[in-house]
Amino acid sequence: MTDTLQLQSEAAARPKPAIPLPTSVARAATAAGAVITAASAFLSWTYSSQFPGDLTVSGYPGGLQWITFAGGLLTLLYTLVGYRVPVLRLLAPGGPEGTTVLLAVGSAVTTWFTLIAISVELGGLANLTGGGWVAGVGSLVAVVGALALPRDGEQTQDAKLRVLLYAGKRPELPPTQPESPWVEVPVVLVTLAVALGIFSYGIDTAYAELFGGFLILTGFTAWALNRSGDFTRLAALMQRNRTTAAVGAFVAAGLFPFTQQGGNAEANANLGVSILIFAATALGLNIVVGLAGLLDLGYVAFLGVGAYTAALVSGAAGAAFHVQFPFWAAALLGAAVSGVFGVLLGAPTLRVRGDYLAIVTLGFGEIFRIVVQNLDGTSGPNVTNGAIGISNVPDLNIFGFDFGSPHSLGWFTIGRFANYFELMLLFTAIIVLVFARSTNSRIGRAWIAIREDETAATAMGINGFRFKLLAFALGATLAGLAGTVFVHVNYSVVPDTFQFAGPTPPNSAFLLAAVVIGGMGTVTGPLVGASLFFLLQAKLSFLHDYQLLLFGLTLILFMRFRPEGIIPNRRRQLEFHEAETAEA
Amino acid sequence: MRNRSLLVLTAIAATGTLTLTACGSRASNSGSSGGSGSTTVTIGVDAPLTGSLSALGIGIQNSVDLAVKTANKTNEVPGVTFKIEAMDDKAAPQQGSLNATQLVGDSSVLGVVGPLNSGVALTMQKTFNNANLVEVSPANTNPALTQGPNWQTGTKARPFASYFRTATTDAIQGPFAAQFAYSTLGKKKVFLVDNKDAYGVGLVGTFKDEFTKLGGSVAGQDHVTSGASDFSSTVNAIKSSGADFVYFGGEYPDAAPLTKQLKAGGDNIPMIGGDGNYDPTYVKLAGTAANGDYATSVGAPVESLPSAQTFVANYKAGGYSQAYGAYGGYSYDSAWAIIEAVKAVVSANSGKLPSNPRAAVEKAMGSVSFSGVTGTVAFDQYGDATNKQLTVYGVKNGLWATIKTGTFSG
Amino acid sequence: MHELPQNLVNGLLLGATYGLIAVGYTIVYGIVQLINFAHGEIFMTGAFGALSVYLGLGSGTSMWITIPLMILGAIVTSTVIAVLTERLAYRPLRNAPRLAPLITAIGVSITLQQLVWGFYPSAKSPRVFPSLPGGPYHIGSILIQSSDIFVLVAAVLSTLFLAYFVRSTRTGRAMQATAQDPDTAKLMGINTDRVIVIAFALGAAFAGIAGVAWGLRYGEIKFDMGFLTGLYAFTAAVLGGIGNIYGAMLGGLVLGLVQNLTAIYIADIPGMSQFSSQSWSSVWAFVILILVLMVRPQGLLGERVADRA
Repeated sequence: MTDTLQLQSEAAARPKPAIPLPTSVARAATAAGAVITAASAFLSWTYSSQFPGDLTVSGYPGGLQWITFAGGLLTLLYTLVGYRVPVLRLLAPGGPEGTTVLLAVGSAVTTWFTLIAISVELGGLANLTGGGWVAGVGSLVAVVGALALPRDGEQTQDAKLRVLLYAGKRPELPPTQPESPWVEVPVVLVTLAVALGIFSYGIDTAYAELFGGFLILTGFTAWALNRSGDFTRLAALMQRNRTTAAVGAFVAAGLFPFTQQGGNAEANANLGVSILIFAATALGLNIVVGLAGLLDLGYVAFLGVGAYTAALVSGAAGAAFHVQFPFWAAALLGAAVSGVFGVLLGAPTLRVRGDYLAIVTLGFGEIFRIVVQNLDGTSGPNVTNGAIGISNVPDLNIFGFDFGSPHSLGWFTIGRFANYFELMLLFTAIIVLVFARSTNSRIGRAWIAIREDETAATAMGINGFRFKLLAFALGATLAGLAGTVFVHVNYSVVPDTFQFAGPTPPNSAFLLAAVVIGGMGTVTGPLVGASLFFLLQAKLSFLHDYQLLLFGLTLILFMRFRPEGIIPNRRRQLEFHEAETAEA
Repeated sequence: MRNRSLLVLTAIAATGTLTLTACGSRASNSGSSGGSGSTTVTIGVDAPLTGSLSALGIGIQNSVDLAVKTANKTNEVPGVTFKIEAMDDKAAPQQGSLNATQLVGDSSVLGVVGPLNSGVALTMQKTFNNANLVEVSPANTNPALTQGPNWQTGTKARPFASYFRTATTDAIQGPFAAQFAYSTLGKKKVFLVDNKDAYGVGLVGTFKDEFTKLGGSVAGQDHVTSGASDFSSTVNAIKSSGADFVYFGGEYPDAAPLTKQLKAGGDNIPMIGGDGNYDPTYVKLAGTAANGDYATSVGAPVESLPSAQTFVANYKAGGYSQAYGAYGGYSYDSAWAIIEAVKAVVSANSGKLPSNPRAAVEKAMGSVSFSGVTGTVAFDQYGDATNKQLTVYGVKNGLWATIKTGTFSG
Repeated sequence: MHELPQNLVNGLLLGATYGLIAVGYTIVYGIVQLINFAHGEIFMTGAFGALSVYLGLGSGTSMWITIPLMILGAIVTSTVIAVLTERLAYRPLRNAPRLAPLITAIGVSITLQQLVWGFYPSAKSPRVFPSLPGGPYHIGSILIQSSDIFVLVAAVLSTLFLAYFVRSTRTGRAMQATAQDPDTAKLMGINTDRVIVIAFALGAAFAGIAGVAWGLRYGEIKFDMGFLTGLYAFTAAVLGGIGNIYGAMLGGLVLGLVQNLTAIYIADIPGMSQFSSQSWSSVWAFVILILVLMVRPQGLLGERVADRA
């Protein structure tokens, strides 16, 4: 945006709200609607306890009512910001009205999603009781009120996106002065705690409807907070307190198993550790794809190399070698072997054009599976036990700490999968550290230079081949490292896990998608992308037959409309929108 | 003025919620607590309910559902109502592991039927075993699952006490086919082909051992990649080997094109396969080339067993939209074995579930014995089905026909 | 001993099919520098298009009418799908960094596969494809099926047509010009958008023919047959030198031979008997690719070109 344009848009008359009402009435209606929505969660919504979550109880919310309740409260909060309530004014630096619209719409969508789900599953609107109708009407009142609020923030000029961006664009905020650490650090910690809470809640959602509602509201809230400028402010804050935020994030993640107690604890911890393995592997891939710009389509094979190596030296009864390495040695060996494979594969292919790498890695991914299947003693030497795989991999025991059995810590019980979760968290931290250190080093800058323009980079004295090989090998090493934990968590390793595209993560296509959708070249992008992706496929079970189809479409749409991913790397974002900025 | 009252309202709402949540929670009865009235016992199902194997998986789910409904209707275990909890493993080991922990987490689950794929079983076995939760697979055929990785060398050791199966292992089906080929058909020279999946490799291995023991010779062996289309090199190898017949270990999507290309290549020798080939689609895909081919399958033919006919009739009456598939009978028997075990446990404990029902059910499984869809259902010391009845089917005029049924004896 | 002539023929026939598909990769890559991963799926949809025509005609129709219509159906289906994906998915990304269209191509590939899997009637398991009547014919010790003759004729005719098209027609020369320098070509009055669409359509038409050939030869088609076949075909294109049409054909033939011969004759190398089976043949094909890339990175017939930034 050039200066003139900004002036123009300020000079132009603000677009009118969608519904013509006096502002005071609009505000009151929004607030009232929000209160009614929140309060309706305390009523009974349906007659039958057949609907999951049992919404028949009056007096306190349950299941999806919690989502509606949270939506109502959030809408109310930002409506109050609009009333210029003293302390709350700090929220929404980019203007509260657009934010309120998004939140009101978000909670209305979730509420109506619930009501429709009830009607569809139980057969007919007659299944709704008064409480349900109160919720539905209340949430709509809030939306009507919000749409009558004056419009703030920067509006789009694009006619096609006018409806979609009714609430306004993300504001460009002037930088603020840092507050005292006594304010900033607690804010960081509270943010992390809230994030942990949301994540734990999401992972614990027991049925697809609840997860759906959760997802809708979280999505709208994220959009709203992006619109309000809160995310911009928080990002700046996190950036200033980088170390605290990073350490705090890992501590918060480490606390995750402690939030999961009771019957579903192990199932959720298992989900957690699977997400971590997937996310850590995706982060490794991000070095190759996001930083160095090399498309690796067989990345999951490196996870497989690590997994098989660790299984072979784990002392499992079915393994070809009857040796048992201590885990640290097995992990290092798995990473090293994987790295060697990376060099072997990269050395001949990285000398030629970048595009060849894609096909060679895709081939390698397929070939890895076939080779592993064949090394079973009849169609090759017995190394991997063929399609039957290596089973009964023993649980880890590090310094007398048995990962296979639950441990009690005060009030908390940490089960088997939670043990592995903590271990994998440590590995993830290592991978994040490697990623972060290399990004900001000479090597990382060389990678980015190669990614942007290899010819120019070579002209500046960068040995393109060497750096590309380094990125490729490093990526392979990190995946191998993740693989060593993977095999212990799953007790076994079979060739079929390592496919290009399959119904469940990890596979090469999903890993790539996690990186691309999350945001190439960033640390948080693949972590967020991987978690979101894993949860989506794990929770929305009714979509399974169409899951891969939706996955394919998502890739296409993301590349078309948001190639920089959910969490964009600044440099990449500019690069992808070069044309638009040039026109403007 | 208005904002302040709103704030107050919010505060009230928030505190109200907190107090109320503290006071009470929604009734979440985990059935096995053994309270008053009827106790609910859940039988878990783990199978691929979506994806390319979903037809088989849904057959498993429906058959277990039928068993549960039958048990509830006849009040098989007084005071216990059965319920089914079906999980989709998408034929992926990872998902199997997640499902296993989830089923273990639900304390009303006292037994699980599944999975279909042995790769999935590998990730589930130990999780179930740690929780003493019984798992009965209707479809896993790899001997290593029950007899340990060194079963071929004679050192059989059961790795998991909670793992049972109603499916017959490769160690029985392969030799049975070998005896049929050698003694009944009088064929002495075999060409072995497998598709490199766990089932195919296991089947060919056990067939080869028995066939050479009987005195037959192996003219050649090839391995194909599952999902491949071009088998011309394999066909050539078979032709130049001069074999009497081909033994194929794998499933019909690979077997059908192979037999078709073999016959088209001018080598009119029969192909014998396992229950992976025994499917109507095999004949459909291979066309006339399938005529004269054989497949072994486990159990007696459906039309000769009255219990099987009842199952087929009940399944039809149940109004399930999908067929019970290849593993329907075993799934029904697997579920019924769990029901029988629960029954034994309940009656031994004066009509109630004991405080640790899972371990009790696991113990009771060993002595379960009843007449099921596939014959007498009981388990040996490894958790394998004792039923060793198998049937040979042959393709005649484009249809599978029963050739010979018999029991395998060592 | 192992019937070498028959194996050579089988290898060449398989290779000719790879070559037909590889042409599509090569044309598109030569002009827009995009590895169209979805090309394998274009091949697959072509086969399903032909099957639809066959099912629509019913079994009573004469083969002399059915087969040409099936080929037409395959070409129409694959061309329409290829042009649509170009227009909707690739064209908006023409100026984006290289990674973007590659990832889009993967998305298109998965989408097409899943569309057929989910919505084509009973495509969840392999579908029977009609076979040609007549045959088999004996030439010495070699056995030839009538579908093999079809593959042979299709491959030869297609290559000749393509050679004529690229060399002697106006559009063909426009394609060559665009491949060499798109900006200058544009300045010379060539509608590069149109050229790109034609490149996609041409490649897709060949893939459609390959789809029919494949179905006739193996008697069945499945939704996921495009993935591995596409991978091999691309390998063939790289082997032959990507961007070179004759290279694609040559690469296909080499790859087909490698796959067929390694499956049998590796066993004759001492100590390698275990590595010779159909299940290892794709591994050997891949090893050959790596070796060629090491020795001759531009491929067998390719020319060394500077990497365009």
